[in-house]
Amino acid sequence: MTTTAQLGGSYIGMELSADLAAAALDLARRFHDGATLWVISPQWEPHAHHVAVEFVHPVIMGKRALPSVALVEPDPVAQARVASQPGDLLIAVASADEPAVVDAMRRAPAWGVLTLWIGSGPRPPAGAANHILWIDSDDPMVPATGTFVLMYHLLWELTHVCFEHPGLLKPRAESDVCVTCGDEGRLGEVVLEPVNGQALVRAAGGEEWVDTTVLGDVRVNDLILVHAGAAITRLEATS
Amino acid sequence: MTTRHEPESTGFLYPFIESEETDATSLLDDLAASARGKAGESARLQQESLDEYAPGLTAAGTQMAERFLRGGRLYTLGNGGSSTDAATLATLFSRPARGRPVAAWSLAADEAVVTALGNDVGFDLIFKRQIIAHARDRDVAIALSTSGNSEDLMTAITEAKQRGLLTVGFSGHDGGRMAVADDLDFCFTVHSQSIHRIQESHAMLGYRLWSVTQEHMARPMSEARP
Repeated sequence: MTTTAQLGGSYIGMELSADLAAAALDLARRFHDGATLWVISPQWEPHAHHVAVEFVHPVIMGKRALPSVALVEPDPVAQARVASQPGDLLIAVASADEPAVVDAMRRAPAWGVLTLWIGSGPRPPAGAANHILWIDSDDPMVPATGTFVLMYHLLWELTHVCFEHPGLLKPRAESDVCVTCGDEGRLGEVVLEPVNGQALVRAAGGEEWVDTTVLGDVRVNDLILVHAGAAITRLEATS
Repeated sequence: MTTRHEPESTGFLYPFIESEETDATSLLDDLAASARGKAGESARLQQESLDEYAPGLTAAGTQMAERFLRGGRLYTLGNGGSSTDAATLATLFSRPARGRPVAAWSLAADEAVVTALGNDVGFDLIFKRQIIAHARDRDVAIALSTSGNSEDLMTAITEAKQRGLLTVGFSGHDGGRMAVADDLDFCFTVHSQSIHRIQESHAMLGYRLWSVTQEHMARPMSEARP
Protein backbone atom coordinates (compact mmCIF):
# COMPACT_ATOMS: atom_id res chain seq x y z
CA MET A 1 0.00 0.00 0.00
CA THR A 2 1.30 3.41 -0.91
CA THR A 3 1.44 5.75 2.07
CA THR A 4 -1.18 8.44 1.84
CA ALA A 5 -0.84 11.82 3.48
CA GLN A 6 -3.76 13.82 4.81
CA LEU A 7 -4.53 16.74 2.49
CA GLY A 8 -3.18 20.01 3.94
CA GLY A 9 -6.42 21.90 3.46
CA SER A 10 -8.34 19.46 5.64
CA TYR A 11 -6.44 20.69 8.71
CA ILE A 12 -7.65 24.29 8.33
CA GLY A 13 -10.78 24.27 10.52
CA MET A 14 -12.49 27.02 12.51
CA GLU A 15 -9.75 27.31 15.12
CA LEU A 16 -6.68 27.29 12.85
CA SER A 17 -8.34 29.62 10.33
CA ALA A 18 -9.02 32.10 13.15
CA ASP A 19 -5.41 31.77 14.30
CA LEU A 20 -4.19 32.47 10.75
CA ALA A 21 -6.48 35.51 10.49
CA ALA A 22 -5.24 37.03 13.76
CA ALA A 23 -1.62 36.36 12.79
CA ALA A 24 -2.10 37.96 9.36
CA LEU A 25 -3.53 41.15 10.89
CA ASP A 26 -0.54 41.41 13.23
CA LEU A 27 1.82 40.85 10.29
CA ALA A 28 0.10 43.59 8.28
CA ARG A 29 0.17 46.01 11.23
CA ARG A 30 3.88 45.50 11.84
CA PHE A 31 4.76 45.68 8.12
CA HIS A 32 2.72 48.90 7.97
CA ASP A 33 4.92 50.29 10.74
CA GLY A 34 8.12 49.35 8.89
CA ALA A 35 8.88 45.86 10.19
CA THR A 36 11.21 43.36 8.55
CA LEU A 37 10.15 39.70 8.66
CA TRP A 38 12.90 37.23 9.65
CA VAL A 39 12.36 33.54 8.99
CA ILE A 40 14.07 30.53 10.58
CA SER A 41 13.59 26.81 9.92
CA PRO A 42 16.66 24.92 11.12
CA GLN A 43 15.18 21.51 10.24
CA TRP A 44 13.72 22.52 6.88
CA GLU A 45 15.65 25.47 5.44
CA PRO A 46 13.68 25.52 2.15
CA HIS A 47 10.57 26.54 4.09
CA ALA A 48 12.43 29.60 5.43
CA HIS A 49 13.48 30.50 1.90
CA HIS A 50 9.95 29.98 0.56
CA VAL A 51 8.41 32.34 3.15
CA ALA A 52 11.01 35.01 2.38
CA VAL A 53 10.63 34.85 -1.41
CA GLU A 54 6.84 34.87 -1.02
CA PHE A 55 6.89 38.27 0.71
CA VAL A 56 9.80 39.80 -1.23
CA HIS A 57 8.65 38.77 -4.71
CA PRO A 58 4.87 38.23 -4.69
CA VAL A 59 3.42 35.78 -7.21
CA ILE A 60 0.57 38.20 -7.90
CA MET A 61 1.61 41.20 -9.99
CA GLY A 62 1.04 44.54 -8.31
CA LYS A 63 1.20 43.32 -4.71
CA ARG A 64 3.80 45.26 -2.76
CA ALA A 65 7.19 43.73 -2.04
CA LEU A 66 7.78 43.39 1.68
CA PRO A 67 11.11 42.98 3.47
CA SER A 68 11.67 39.38 4.51
CA VAL A 69 14.89 37.41 4.94
CA ALA A 70 15.60 33.72 5.60
CA LEU A 71 18.18 33.21 8.36
CA VAL A 72 19.79 29.86 7.59
CA GLU A 73 23.27 30.06 9.10
CA PRO A 74 24.27 27.37 11.62
CA ASP A 75 23.30 29.61 14.58
CA PRO A 76 19.93 31.18 13.71
CA VAL A 77 19.55 32.65 17.22
CA ALA A 78 22.75 34.68 16.83
CA GLN A 79 21.61 35.71 13.34
CA ALA A 80 18.15 36.77 14.51
CA ARG A 81 19.58 38.62 17.53
CA VAL A 82 21.81 40.87 15.46
CA ALA A 83 19.39 41.27 12.55
CA SER A 84 16.20 42.10 14.41
CA GLN A 85 15.10 45.46 15.74
CA PRO A 86 12.17 46.38 17.99
CA GLY A 87 8.94 46.14 15.99
CA ASP A 88 10.20 43.39 13.67
CA LEU A 89 8.64 39.98 12.99
CA LEU A 90 10.00 36.44 13.32
CA ILE A 91 8.42 33.34 11.78
CA ALA A 92 9.74 29.91 12.71
CA VAL A 93 8.76 26.80 10.79
CA ALA A 94 9.84 24.06 13.17
CA SER A 95 8.78 21.32 15.54
CA ALA A 96 8.11 22.26 19.17
CA ASP A 97 11.36 20.66 20.36
CA GLU A 98 13.75 22.37 17.92
CA PRO A 99 16.32 23.86 20.35
CA ALA A 100 17.32 26.94 18.35
CA VAL A 101 13.70 27.90 17.78
CA VAL A 102 12.78 27.33 21.44
CA ASP A 103 15.66 29.65 22.36
CA ALA A 104 14.79 32.31 19.76
CA MET A 105 11.16 32.34 20.88
CA ARG A 106 12.00 32.92 24.55
CA ARG A 107 14.40 35.74 23.64
CA ALA A 108 12.16 37.49 21.09
CA PRO A 109 10.23 39.54 23.69
CA ALA A 110 13.53 41.08 24.79
CA TRP A 111 14.28 41.94 21.18
CA GLY A 112 10.84 43.56 20.77
CA VAL A 113 10.00 41.05 18.06
CA LEU A 114 6.54 39.58 17.41
CA THR A 115 6.66 35.83 16.82
CA LEU A 116 4.77 33.26 14.76
CA TRP A 117 5.49 29.55 15.07
CA ILE A 118 4.32 27.14 12.35
CA GLY A 119 4.68 23.41 12.95
CA SER A 120 3.15 20.01 13.51
CA GLY A 121 3.26 17.25 16.10
CA PRO A 122 3.29 17.99 19.85
CA ARG A 123 2.47 21.66 20.44
CA PRO A 124 4.76 24.25 22.01
CA PRO A 125 3.50 25.43 25.42
CA ALA A 126 0.78 28.09 25.31
CA GLY A 127 2.35 31.53 25.05
CA ALA A 128 5.63 30.24 23.61
CA ALA A 129 5.01 32.50 20.60
CA ASN A 130 2.58 35.35 19.92
CA HIS A 131 0.88 33.17 17.31
CA ILE A 132 1.13 29.38 17.32
CA LEU A 133 -0.15 28.02 13.98
CA TRP A 134 -0.22 24.30 14.51
CA ILE A 135 -1.10 21.09 12.69
CA ASP A 136 -2.19 18.57 15.30
CA SER A 137 -0.87 15.46 13.57
CA ASP A 138 1.73 12.92 14.65
CA ASP A 139 2.62 12.13 11.00
CA PRO A 140 6.35 13.02 10.70
CA MET A 141 5.89 13.51 6.95
CA VAL A 142 3.61 16.58 7.29
CA PRO A 143 6.48 19.04 6.56
CA ALA A 144 6.98 17.45 3.11
CA THR A 145 3.35 17.29 1.94
CA GLY A 146 2.68 20.95 1.17
CA THR A 147 0.75 21.61 4.38
CA PHE A 148 3.23 24.17 5.74
CA VAL A 149 3.41 25.69 2.25
CA LEU A 150 -0.37 26.11 2.34
CA MET A 151 -0.17 27.78 5.76
CA TYR A 152 2.37 30.42 4.79
CA HIS A 153 0.64 30.96 1.44
CA LEU A 154 -2.55 31.70 3.39
CA LEU A 155 -0.66 34.02 5.75
CA TRP A 156 0.70 35.95 2.78
CA GLU A 157 -2.71 36.14 1.07
CA LEU A 158 -4.53 37.28 4.24
CA THR A 159 -1.82 39.82 5.09
CA HIS A 160 -2.33 41.54 1.75
CA VAL A 161 -6.10 41.62 2.31
CA CYS A 162 -5.40 43.52 5.55
CA PHE A 163 -3.56 46.23 3.60
CA GLU A 164 -6.92 47.08 2.01
CA HIS A 165 -8.15 48.11 5.49
CA PRO A 166 -5.81 50.96 6.45
CA GLY A 167 -8.01 52.03 9.36
CA LEU A 168 -7.30 48.73 11.10
CA LEU A 169 -3.54 49.05 10.67
CA LYS A 170 -3.20 52.15 12.84
CA PRO A 171 -1.36 51.73 16.13
CA ARG A 172 -3.77 50.78 18.88
CA ALA A 173 -3.62 52.15 22.40
CA GLU A 174 -3.38 48.68 23.90
CA SER A 175 -0.42 47.79 21.70
CA ASP A 176 1.69 50.17 23.77
CA VAL A 177 1.04 48.10 26.87
CA CYS A 178 3.42 45.17 27.22
CA VAL A 179 1.93 42.14 28.93
CA THR A 180 5.28 41.38 30.52
CA CYS A 181 5.34 44.81 32.17
CA GLY A 182 3.30 43.87 35.22
CA ASP A 183 4.74 43.40 38.69
CA GLU A 184 7.16 40.81 37.36
CA GLY A 185 9.16 43.27 35.30
CA ARG A 186 10.29 43.42 31.70
CA LEU A 187 12.36 40.82 29.85
CA GLY A 188 15.85 41.94 28.85
CA GLU A 189 18.92 40.39 27.25
CA VAL A 190 22.38 41.40 28.43
CA VAL A 191 24.40 43.20 25.74
CA LEU A 192 27.47 44.24 27.78
CA GLU A 193 28.67 42.68 31.04
CA PRO A 194 28.40 44.92 34.11
CA VAL A 195 30.91 47.66 34.81
CA ASN A 196 30.58 49.09 38.34
CA GLY A 197 27.33 47.19 38.80
CA GLN A 198 25.70 48.53 35.62
CA ALA A 199 25.05 46.24 32.60
CA LEU A 200 23.80 47.32 29.19
CA VAL A 201 20.54 45.46 28.58
CA ARG A 202 18.39 45.16 25.50
CA ALA A 203 14.63 45.19 26.07
CA ALA A 204 11.59 45.65 23.84
CA GLY A 205 11.82 49.43 24.15
CA GLY A 206 15.52 49.62 23.32
CA GLU A 207 18.83 49.47 25.20
CA GLU A 208 19.27 50.70 28.76
CA TRP A 209 21.81 50.55 31.59
CA VAL A 210 20.55 48.34 34.39
CA ASP A 211 21.73 47.88 37.98
CA THR A 212 22.86 44.25 38.36
CA THR A 213 24.13 44.28 41.96
CA VAL A 214 21.31 41.97 43.10
CA LEU A 215 22.31 39.26 40.61
CA GLY A 216 26.04 39.79 40.71
CA ASP A 217 27.52 37.60 37.98
CA VAL A 218 25.76 38.49 34.72
CA ARG A 219 26.97 37.33 31.30
CA VAL A 220 26.38 38.55 27.76
CA ASN A 221 23.11 37.12 26.30
CA ASP A 222 21.72 36.21 29.74
CA LEU A 223 17.97 36.76 29.90
CA ILE A 224 16.97 38.81 32.94
CA LEU A 225 13.91 40.50 34.36
CA VAL A 226 14.27 44.24 34.78
CA HIS A 227 12.19 46.13 37.34
CA ALA A 228 12.58 49.81 38.15
CA GLY A 229 16.00 50.00 36.52
CA ALA A 230 17.38 46.94 38.29
CA ALA A 231 17.90 43.31 37.23
CA ILE A 232 15.94 41.22 39.73
CA THR A 233 15.99 37.68 38.29
CA ARG A 234 17.97 35.66 35.80
CA LEU A 235 15.89 33.33 33.56
CA GLU A 236 17.41 29.93 33.04
CA ALA A 237 16.57 27.77 30.02
CA THR A 238 13.68 25.52 31.00
CA SER A 239 14.70 22.36 29.16
CA MET B 1 4.90 57.96 13.63
CA THR B 2 3.96 59.49 10.24
CA THR B 3 0.70 60.62 8.75
CA ARG B 4 0.84 58.33 5.73
CA HIS B 5 -2.42 56.60 6.72
CA GLU B 6 -4.55 59.70 5.96
CA PRO B 7 -7.65 58.90 3.89
CA GLU B 8 -7.16 59.53 0.19
CA SER B 9 -9.44 61.88 -1.65
CA THR B 10 -11.17 58.97 -3.39
CA GLY B 11 -11.94 57.32 -0.05
CA PHE B 12 -15.63 58.22 -0.26
CA LEU B 13 -15.97 55.81 -3.20
CA TYR B 14 -15.07 52.85 -1.00
CA PRO B 15 -16.89 53.30 2.29
CA PHE B 16 -16.01 49.81 3.53
CA ILE B 17 -12.27 50.06 2.96
CA GLU B 18 -12.17 53.52 4.47
CA SER B 19 -9.32 54.33 6.82
CA GLU B 20 -11.84 55.25 9.53
CA GLU B 21 -12.63 51.54 9.97
CA THR B 22 -11.76 50.66 13.56
CA ASP B 23 -13.40 47.34 14.48
CA ALA B 24 -11.33 44.38 13.26
CA THR B 25 -13.90 41.74 14.19
CA SER B 26 -15.63 41.52 10.82
CA LEU B 27 -12.31 41.60 8.97
CA LEU B 28 -10.97 38.74 11.09
CA ASP B 29 -14.15 36.75 10.40
CA ASP B 30 -13.77 37.39 6.68
CA LEU B 31 -10.08 36.43 6.73
CA ALA B 32 -10.80 33.17 8.57
CA ALA B 33 -13.59 32.28 6.13
CA SER B 34 -11.29 33.12 3.22
CA ALA B 35 -8.57 30.87 4.69
CA ARG B 36 -11.02 27.97 4.97
CA GLY B 37 -12.24 28.52 1.40
CA LYS B 38 -8.72 28.56 -0.03
CA ALA B 39 -7.75 25.54 2.08
CA GLY B 40 -10.75 23.64 0.74
CA GLU B 41 -9.74 24.53 -2.81
CA SER B 42 -6.18 23.41 -2.09
CA ALA B 43 -7.37 20.03 -0.76
CA ARG B 44 -9.75 19.51 -3.70
CA LEU B 45 -7.01 20.27 -6.22
CA GLN B 46 -4.54 17.96 -4.45
CA GLN B 47 -7.04 15.09 -4.49
CA GLU B 48 -8.00 15.65 -8.14
CA SER B 49 -4.34 15.76 -9.14
CA LEU B 50 -3.55 12.57 -7.22
CA ASP B 51 -6.53 10.83 -8.83
CA GLU B 52 -5.78 12.04 -12.35
CA TYR B 53 -2.11 11.02 -12.24
CA ALA B 54 -2.28 7.84 -10.14
CA PRO B 55 -1.10 5.53 -12.96
CA GLY B 56 1.65 7.94 -14.09
CA LEU B 57 2.91 8.49 -10.55
CA THR B 58 3.08 4.72 -9.98
CA ALA B 59 4.98 4.20 -13.23
CA ALA B 60 7.36 7.10 -12.62
CA GLY B 61 8.00 6.12 -8.99
CA THR B 62 8.68 2.52 -10.02
CA GLN B 63 11.19 3.59 -12.65
CA MET B 64 12.84 5.95 -10.19
CA ALA B 65 13.20 3.13 -7.64
CA GLU B 66 14.87 0.93 -10.24
CA ARG B 67 17.34 3.71 -10.99
CA PHE B 68 18.07 4.33 -7.30
CA LEU B 69 18.71 0.59 -6.86
CA ARG B 70 21.32 0.88 -9.64
CA GLY B 71 23.03 3.75 -7.82
CA GLY B 72 21.17 6.55 -9.56
CA ARG B 73 20.66 9.92 -7.94
CA LEU B 74 17.99 12.60 -8.15
CA TYR B 75 18.39 16.24 -9.22
CA THR B 76 15.51 18.66 -8.59
CA LEU B 77 15.13 21.96 -10.45
CA GLY B 78 12.96 25.02 -9.98
CA ASN B 79 12.96 28.83 -9.83
CA GLY B 80 11.82 31.06 -6.95
CA GLY B 81 9.24 29.42 -4.69
CA SER B 82 9.47 26.31 -6.86
CA SER B 83 13.20 26.14 -6.14
CA THR B 84 12.36 25.87 -2.44
CA ASP B 85 9.76 23.19 -3.20
CA ALA B 86 12.41 21.42 -5.29
CA ALA B 87 14.74 21.57 -2.30
CA THR B 88 12.05 20.19 0.03
CA LEU B 89 11.45 17.34 -2.44
CA ALA B 90 15.19 16.57 -2.66
CA THR B 91 15.37 16.51 1.15
CA LEU B 92 12.38 14.17 1.29
CA PHE B 93 14.34 11.68 -0.83
CA SER B 94 17.75 12.19 0.80
CA ARG B 95 16.75 12.68 4.44
CA PRO B 96 13.25 11.21 4.93
CA ALA B 97 11.73 11.08 8.43
CA ARG B 98 11.21 7.37 7.77
CA GLY B 99 12.21 4.94 5.02
CA ARG B 100 15.35 4.60 2.96
CA PRO B 101 17.40 7.67 1.99
CA VAL B 102 18.73 8.04 -1.56
CA ALA B 103 21.09 10.59 -3.11
CA ALA B 104 19.19 13.74 -4.11
CA TRP B 105 19.83 17.47 -4.22
CA SER B 106 18.43 20.68 -5.61
CA LEU B 107 20.44 22.25 -8.41
CA ALA B 108 19.50 25.72 -7.11
CA ALA B 109 20.99 25.08 -3.67
CA ASP B 110 24.58 26.17 -4.23
CA GLU B 111 24.79 29.95 -4.67
CA ALA B 112 28.43 29.76 -5.81
CA VAL B 113 27.52 27.43 -8.69
CA VAL B 114 24.28 29.25 -9.59
CA THR B 115 25.86 32.72 -9.62
CA ALA B 116 28.99 31.50 -11.42
CA LEU B 117 26.90 30.02 -14.22
CA GLY B 118 24.41 32.89 -14.26
CA ASN B 119 27.19 35.43 -14.51
CA ASP B 120 29.45 33.60 -16.95
CA VAL B 121 27.15 31.73 -19.35
CA GLY B 122 23.69 33.19 -18.67
CA PHE B 123 20.76 32.44 -16.41
CA ASP B 124 19.09 30.10 -18.92
CA LEU B 125 21.99 27.68 -18.54
CA ILE B 126 22.27 27.51 -14.72
CA PHE B 127 20.73 24.03 -14.61
CA LYS B 128 21.84 22.61 -17.96
CA ARG B 129 25.53 23.12 -17.21
CA GLN B 130 25.13 21.30 -13.90
CA ILE B 131 23.37 18.39 -15.64
CA ILE B 132 26.34 18.18 -18.03
CA ALA B 133 28.72 18.09 -15.07
CA HIS B 134 26.85 15.69 -12.77
CA ALA B 135 24.57 13.42 -14.75
CA ARG B 136 25.00 9.68 -15.37
CA ASP B 137 22.52 7.66 -17.43
CA ARG B 138 20.98 6.02 -14.34
CA ASP B 139 20.01 9.37 -12.74
CA VAL B 140 16.66 11.18 -12.48
CA ALA B 141 15.74 14.86 -13.02
CA ILE B 142 12.53 16.41 -11.68
CA ALA B 143 11.66 19.95 -12.85
CA LEU B 144 9.04 22.07 -11.06
CA SER B 145 7.46 25.07 -12.79
CA THR B 146 4.01 26.52 -12.17
CA SER B 147 3.90 27.84 -15.74
CA GLY B 148 5.71 24.96 -17.42
CA ASN B 149 7.60 27.51 -19.49
CA SER B 150 10.85 28.27 -17.67
CA GLU B 151 13.68 28.33 -20.20
CA ASP B 152 16.37 27.28 -17.70
CA LEU B 153 14.36 24.16 -16.84
CA MET B 154 13.51 23.25 -20.43
CA THR B 155 17.13 23.39 -21.66
CA ALA B 156 18.22 21.29 -18.68
CA ILE B 157 15.50 18.70 -19.33
CA THR B 158 16.54 18.39 -22.98
CA GLU B 159 20.14 17.84 -21.91
CA ALA B 160 19.06 15.34 -19.25
CA LYS B 161 16.99 13.33 -21.73
CA GLN B 162 19.87 13.18 -24.19
CA ARG B 163 22.08 11.80 -21.41
CA GLY B 164 19.65 9.00 -20.62
CA LEU B 165 18.13 10.38 -17.42
CA LEU B 166 14.55 9.74 -16.42
CA THR B 167 12.88 13.14 -16.78
CA VAL B 168 9.82 14.23 -14.79
CA GLY B 169 8.04 17.58 -14.98
CA PHE B 170 5.58 19.18 -12.53
CA SER B 171 3.69 21.94 -14.31
CA GLY B 172 0.63 24.14 -13.82
CA HIS B 173 -1.99 26.21 -15.64
CA ASP B 174 -2.31 24.56 -19.09
CA GLY B 175 1.04 22.81 -18.77
CA GLY B 176 2.92 25.26 -20.98
CA ARG B 177 5.95 24.00 -22.89
CA MET B 178 6.35 21.11 -20.46
CA ALA B 179 3.00 19.61 -21.47
CA VAL B 180 4.16 19.18 -25.08
CA ALA B 181 7.85 18.47 -24.47
CA ASP B 182 9.08 15.21 -26.03
CA ASP B 183 12.02 15.28 -23.62
CA LEU B 184 9.83 14.68 -20.57
CA ASP B 185 9.10 11.02 -19.75
CA PHE B 186 6.32 12.13 -17.38
CA CYS B 187 4.55 15.47 -17.06
CA PHE B 188 2.10 16.15 -14.22
CA THR B 189 0.16 19.36 -14.87
CA VAL B 190 -1.90 20.77 -12.00
CA HIS B 191 -4.91 22.42 -13.58
CA SER B 192 -5.26 25.71 -11.71
CA GLN B 193 -4.67 29.42 -12.33
CA SER B 194 -3.30 29.99 -8.82
CA ILE B 195 0.46 29.66 -8.38
CA HIS B 196 -0.06 29.01 -4.66
CA ARG B 197 -2.53 26.18 -5.16
CA ILE B 198 -0.35 24.67 -7.92
CA GLN B 199 2.68 24.62 -5.60
CA GLU B 200 0.66 22.95 -2.83
CA SER B 201 -0.38 20.21 -5.28
CA HIS B 202 3.19 19.84 -6.58
CA ALA B 203 4.26 19.07 -3.02
CA MET B 204 1.57 16.40 -2.65
CA LEU B 205 2.39 14.82 -6.04
CA GLY B 206 6.08 14.79 -5.09
CA TYR B 207 5.20 13.13 -1.82
CA ARG B 208 3.24 10.42 -3.65
CA LEU B 209 6.17 9.88 -6.02
CA TRP B 210 8.44 9.42 -2.99
CA SER B 211 5.95 6.98 -1.41
CA VAL B 212 5.82 4.82 -4.54
CA THR B 213 9.61 4.85 -4.78
CA GLN B 214 9.99 3.82 -1.14
CA GLU B 215 7.43 1.06 -1.48
CA HIS B 216 9.21 -0.32 -4.53
CA MET B 217 12.68 -0.18 -2.99
CA ALA B 218 11.45 -2.09 0.07
CA ARG B 219 10.39 -5.10 -2.02
CA PRO B 220 12.60 -8.19 -2.37
CA MET B 221 14.67 -8.09 -5.58
CA SER B 222 12.68 -10.87 -7.29
CA GLU B 223 9.48 -8.87 -6.89
CA ALA B 224 11.02 -5.50 -7.77
CA ARG B 225 12.31 -6.75 -11.11
CA PRO B 226 9.75 -6.88 -13.91
